[in-house]
Amino acid sequence: MASFALILDTVREAMARKVFWAFFFASTAILLFFMFIMHVDVVNGMVASMTIFQANGRTHGDLSAEKLVEGAQGGLSIFLYTFGMGLAIFASAGLISAVFEPGRVELVLSKPVSRVQVLLGRYVGNLVIVAANLFYLTVGIWVIFGVKVGVWRPHMLLASVVTLFMFSVMLAFILLISVLWESAAVSIIATFALIVISLVLGAKNMLDRLLSSEFSRDLVAGLYYILPKVPDGGQILHHVITGQAVESWMPVWSTALFGIVALASGLWIFQKRNF
Amino acid sequence: MTYAIETEGLVKVYKQRWTKREMRAVDGISIRVEPGATFGLLGPNGAGKTTFVKMLLACSHPTAGRALVFGKDSWIPESRRSVGYLPENHRFPTYLTGAGMLDFYGALSGVDAATRKKRIPELLDMVGLDRWGATRLGKYSKGMLQRVGLAQALIHEPKLLVLDEPSDGVDPVGRKQIRDILHGLEEKGVTIFINSHLLQEVELFCRDVAIIRKGKVALEGRVKELTSEGGYRIDLEHAPDNLATELKGRAKAVVSNNGNLQFLFNTREEANVAFDIVRAAKCEVESMTKASSTLEEVFIRTVEQK
Repeated sequence: MASFALILDTVREAMARKVFWAFFFASTAILLFFMFIMHVDVVNGMVASMTIFQANGRTHGDLSAEKLVEGAQGGLSIFLYTFGMGLAIFASAGLISAVFEPGRVELVLSKPVSRVQVLLGRYVGNLVIVAANLFYLTVGIWVIFGVKVGVWRPHMLLASVVTLFMFSVMLAFILLISVLWESAAVSIIATFALIVISLVLGAKNMLDRLLSSEFSRDLVAGLYYILPKVPDGGQILHHVITGQAVESWMPVWSTALFGIVALASGLWIFQKRNF
Repeated sequence: MTYAIETEGLVKVYKQRWTKREMRAVDGISIRVEPGATFGLLGPNGAGKTTFVKMLLACSHPTAGRALVFGKDSWIPESRRSVGYLPENHRFPTYLTGAGMLDFYGALSGVDAATRKKRIPELLDMVGLDRWGATRLGKYSKGMLQRVGLAQALIHEPKLLVLDEPSDGVDPVGRKQIRDILHGLEEKGVTIFINSHLLQEVELFCRDVAIIRKGKVALEGRVKELTSEGGYRIDLEHAPDNLATELKGRAKAVVSNNGNLQFLFNTREEANVAFDIVRAAKCEVESMTKASSTLEEVFIRTVEQK
C-alpha cells in the first residue's frame, strides 16, 4: 500500500509539475510532424513503388518492400532511442531530487516505511511516467507507419523497451547523484556527461589505434567495460529491428550491472544520510 | 514499564566534510516520557531540540546511544507506526489537495483505503477545514497548513504525537482550537511531545518539561514543581558591578533583563543578608518578593547558567 502510494505520488507530482504533459505534448508534436512527413510527395512516391514491388513479388536488386520498411524502422528506432532518452532524463531529474527537500523528507521518513521503499517508490514512479510516454510515442509512430505503408512489423515496438532499459540505468545514476548532491541540475549535467563519455568510449577501437601508451588503452578499456554503453545499446536495437544478428550481448548485461550498482549505491547512501 | 519515549545517552556529532571539525549537537541526552504524558522539550535556538526529535524519528542517525519508541528501536520502521509527527518548517506537496495529502500520508502510515475515506472528512472537520478538503495546499494560509499538518499526524490514530512548534503561524483562535484538540487527545491517553518556543503554551499544556542547553538536559521535571520552587527574589535596577558580583556569589540564580538584575535566594535569611548588603552599598532595592517563577523565568535562569 505504501509503495503504491509513493509511486502514485511521483506520477501526481510529475503531472503537477507539467513534466508529464510536456513529455506528452512533445511526443504528440513528433507524431504530428511524422504524419506530415509521411504525406510529402517523396514518401508517397516511395510508398507507391514499394506497393508495386510487393504486389508483383519483385525485388529491385537487394531492395524489397520488407527491406525498405526494416531500414526505415531501424532509423526511426534510433531516433526514438536518443530523443526519448534525452527527453526522459530532463523530465526525471527534478522528481528524484524533490524527495530530499527539507521539511518534506523528514515527514516521509517519520512514517513506517523504509528508506529503500521511499527511494524505490520514486524510481519506479519515474519509470512508469517515462514508460507511458515512450510507449505512446513508439506505438504512435508504429501505427502511422503501418497505416501508411501497410507493413506491420512489430520489431519496432522493441525500441520503447530498449530505450526504457537504457533510461532505467540512467535513472539509477540520476538517483545516485541526487542522493549525493540533492540537485536536479547537477544530476542532469552528470548524466549527460556520462552519456558523452559513453559515446567517446564507444569508439574504443579507434581510440586504441590513436593512443600510444598502454596505460591509456587499458584505462579506456576499463572505463568502457564499467560504464553504460549507450551507443552499443542503440546499435543492438538497430540490429534487432533490422533482423541482423547481434554479435555480443555484453553491452546489455554490463550496462545493467552498472545500473544495479548505481541504484544499490544510491539506496545505501540514502540509508546513511542525516536529514 | 515501557515508556512512550526512552533515550539513553543519545549523542549526535556533526563533522564538517572538509575540515573534519566536530560539532556536538546532542550530547548524551537521556529522557523518559511516560505513556499518556504531555511533555515539553524546551531550549534556546541551536540547543539540539530538533536534532533530538530527528533522531527519535529516524531522520538522523545517532552517533552514540539509542532511542526507543514504545520499547522499539526508533530506527525500525514498525516503531513509527504508533507515531504522528508534525515537523517544523514542513513542506507539504502543494500539488495535493488537503484531502489528497491526508490520503497520501494515511497510506504511508498504513491506514487502509476504507478507513482513510471515513477518517479524512472527520479530521478535516476537527481542524476546521471541512470546506477546504478539495482545495490544493498551495492555496492554504500558514495557519491552515499547520492545522492540516496536525490532521495528517492524526490520520492513523497514533499513540504518540510529536509536534514541532505546533502553533507556529496560527492565530489565537486557531491556537485555542489546537489546544482543545490536544486536550481531547490527552484525555484519550495519547502521549504528546511538544517541541516549542512558546513557553506560555507549554506551561499551559504540558505536565513535564525538559530544558536542553548546549545539547544536554539542563533541567527536567514536572512543570508544577519547577515553577513553584521556594525562595525569595530581590530585584535591583542598575546595580554596580562589585555589588552584582557579590550577590551573584550568594544567590542560587540570577536573571538579567535590560540592565535589571533579579537574584533568587533559597531562604528568607539569605535574602535578608543580601538586602543588608544592597543597603550598605547605598543601592536601592526595586522589590523583594516570595518567589514563584513562571516557566519562562525558569527557562531563562536555566539557559543563562554558566
